[in-house]
Amino acid sequence: MQSINLHLKILIAVLVSLGVLITGYQIYFLDIPVTEDETDDIWSLDAKVEFRATPGTPIKAQFFIPPLNQDYVSLNESFISNNYGVNINNQAGNRRVTWSSRRASGTQTLYYRLVLTQRYSEEQAKAAPPPAPQPIQLEGPEQVAADALINPIRQHSADIETFISETIRRVNDITDDNVKLLLAGGTSAMDKARVIELLLSNARIPLELVHTIRLENTETQTPELWLRSYNGERWLYFHPETGQQGIPDNRLVWWTGSNPLLSLEGGRQSSVTLTVSNSEMNALRLAKLTTQNSASALLEYSLYGLPLQAQRVYQVMIMIPVGVLVILILRNLIGMQTLGTFTPVLIALAFRETELGWGIALFTVITALGLSLRSYLEHLKLQMLPRLSIVLTFVVLLIAAISLFSHKLGLEKALSVSLFPMVILTMTIERLSITWEERGGAQSLKTALGTLIAATLAHLLMTIPELTYFVFTFPAVLLILVAFMLAMGRYRGYRLTELMRFKALTKS
Amino acid sequence: MFWKTWKALSQAGVMGINRRNADYVLKYNKRHLYPVVDDKILTKERAIAAGIHVPKLYGIIDTEKDFDKFDSIVAEHRDFVIKPAQGAGGDGIIVIADRFEGMYKTVGGKIISRDEIGHHISSILSGLYSLGGHRDRVLIEYRVTPDQIFKSISYEGVPDIRIICLMGYPVMAMLRLPTRQSGGKANLHQGAIGVGVDLATGITLKGTWLNKIISKHPDTTNPVDGVQLPDWNGFMHLAASCYELSGLGYIGVDLVLDQDQGPLILELNARPGLNIQIANDAGLTTRCHMVERHLAQLKKEGREESAEERVAFSQKHFAKLPDAPLSSDEANASNA
Repeated sequence: MQSINLHLKILIAVLVSLGVLITGYQIYFLDIPVTEDETDDIWSLDAKVEFRATPGTPIKAQFFIPPLNQDYVSLNESFISNNYGVNINNQAGNRRVTWSSRRASGTQTLYYRLVLTQRYSEEQAKAAPPPAPQPIQLEGPEQVAADALINPIRQHSADIETFISETIRRVNDITDDNVKLLLAGGTSAMDKARVIELLLSNARIPLELVHTIRLENTETQTPELWLRSYNGERWLYFHPETGQQGIPDNRLVWWTGSNPLLSLEGGRQSSVTLTVSNSEMNALRLAKLTTQNSASALLEYSLYGLPLQAQRVYQVMIMIPVGVLVILILRNLIGMQTLGTFTPVLIALAFRETELGWGIALFTVITALGLSLRSYLEHLKLQMLPRLSIVLTFVVLLIAAISLFSHKLGLEKALSVSLFPMVILTMTIERLSITWEERGGAQSLKTALGTLIAATLAHLLMTIPELTYFVFTFPAVLLILVAFMLAMGRYRGYRLTELMRFKALTKS
Repeated sequence: MFWKTWKALSQAGVMGINRRNADYVLKYNKRHLYPVVDDKILTKERAIAAGIHVPKLYGIIDTEKDFDKFDSIVAEHRDFVIKPAQGAGGDGIIVIADRFEGMYKTVGGKIISRDEIGHHISSILSGLYSLGGHRDRVLIEYRVTPDQIFKSISYEGVPDIRIICLMGYPVMAMLRLPTRQSGGKANLHQGAIGVGVDLATGITLKGTWLNKIISKHPDTTNPVDGVQLPDWNGFMHLAASCYELSGLGYIGVDLVLDQDQGPLILELNARPGLNIQIANDAGLTTRCHMVERHLAQLKKEGREESAEERVAFSQKHFAKLPDAPLSSDEANASNA
């Protein structure tokens, strides 16, 4: 017995941890939404490129577009450009689209749209670290100024990280004569970034200019410039003006390097408008969408991989253990009497077809009429099988009659009783009448009521949409249910009704 | 509030259904041995083979056609009992007390024809009263005449004595008295009274009726406690020896006291009810644990006990009356 108990405990522990682990894996790693109506942010980045075409010259517009190897999954990418050839190529970690046209006249508008979501993105290969830079050659006073800046920076820093932040701090001090000289009048972020790059290249520290966009609902935005360097382990991001370290989460890299976003041949008065807008989408639909797009096995091996027809059946079936659990609790923990073990669950399933109120009413009416027929047949002293067959036929006729009448009365709801399993009703009637004979009317009423209550509770629980979704999406929770049932199998405590029954024994 | 009751019950060692099923029925009763107790004919055959007293079997009917044998079976008897072999809870039993002009008279005084008996037997055969609705057999046996001692505390019917045994050790006993409400049947759930019996002396204790503690019979208003059951040691030995007979470790043995033949075994029950605890105002768990400890001790010593030794152990440890053992005269005097 001792070894069985240990065995059981281990089994329960294994089942619970398996259930928790699988469900946890689905929720935290596969990112499957916990509730059916969970929604997720979707970002759409729109770029509008406008320019006036120079008549008679071929047009070639080169435009950076965001690389896809980031923490986001692309749901959709589109280029809207009439009469333009579209060509995407990768260069030095950037993606670039080239729109080209032999000739065009007037104002040209080209659109680019990228739809992104962070959910379901998998671990992506990160951008490759930049090569060690060649020192940018300087001459005369500029070389002197650069050296004058680098030497104290080198003294005040310990590693790449501190070196870069010290450099940014010094370059932003525009009262410094050396900095002034190197900036040569410009004070924009781009100018400062250029000077920082220059200083760092002389110290042989690689640096990359990254143009980012904020994932926020904004009218229009201009790309924000950040600097990044690779310290051998990870990317370090710096703001070129504030020196702030670490890039905020909502920044998306659009392109790197010092080239402008758009370079245009054969046009003039170009302008680029970037807008970011956010919308929400049902997380489950999103999951299905990304599965199609990214070919991840995310939902492939779940019940969602089944054909839709089968899914409906499983949505009902997978809830049956929950209904059985209700009966288990009612019988073994509370001590309620029901007719048989699984009859209440079957009745609960039948309630699905009829709705609860109608189901209870019809069940009561048919059972009561069936019982009276059964008690009449008792006088005729028939054998069991013929008697059961008569009751069953009577139940069928009764259901048909109810359907007919309710149809004539315009109560379409009652029609669905035809799906009420007749055999269940017949057996219910038979067993109730045997209980009636053997244990008396009060006992059989008690049993019938217990059955009806159990069936109602099971039905209510089995049809909670959130619960159905949860169990259907995370079937591993059934393992936890099994663990509970196993524990109940060795439960030796009192039932609630026994506390009442044995109350007389507590008096002494 | 529930928690307080819970603690009080568990302190008193009261056994609940879950514990009975998990720790005793499932643990001590092997499923393949159930037919011995579920089929009264098998029980009877085993008992006879072991030399244990049972009501005499007049005959068995196992097919509808066999009903022709009925007349020859009962030819020599004016009174007899018709029983389903696999019935439970006393259902389907007809007790014929006498004959009347080719008809039969039940204990209740109802006159029934041979055809009605035929229909009843056919119902039994089709499995109306058997567990799970299997086809069944009918046995016709000796009708027990209850001992005169029960006259004052019983209403019609035959009182029986239920003794619960764990591995052949009697742990608790109860006298079941039919009432008007139970229709002459000795089943507690039908309204019969359960009266605890002191294992050491066979003197009745207080009773339970519909989960209440009582001390008087509701129909005869005579006190049910303090009655000395005759031949108590005979009952105890019969019950204890049912372990060897059935092989089941946890059983309720139902016995009757026949006016002429003394204690007889009626049937065995592999899932005896728990109301016996209310009748005895004592918990089964406490007593079962004591027997289990004793068994563990015996196992260590490498020996087993005979039925006599087991009865002696039970009588020594589960005596309920404080001044036991008393002779029956003294017991009656002190309770008078």
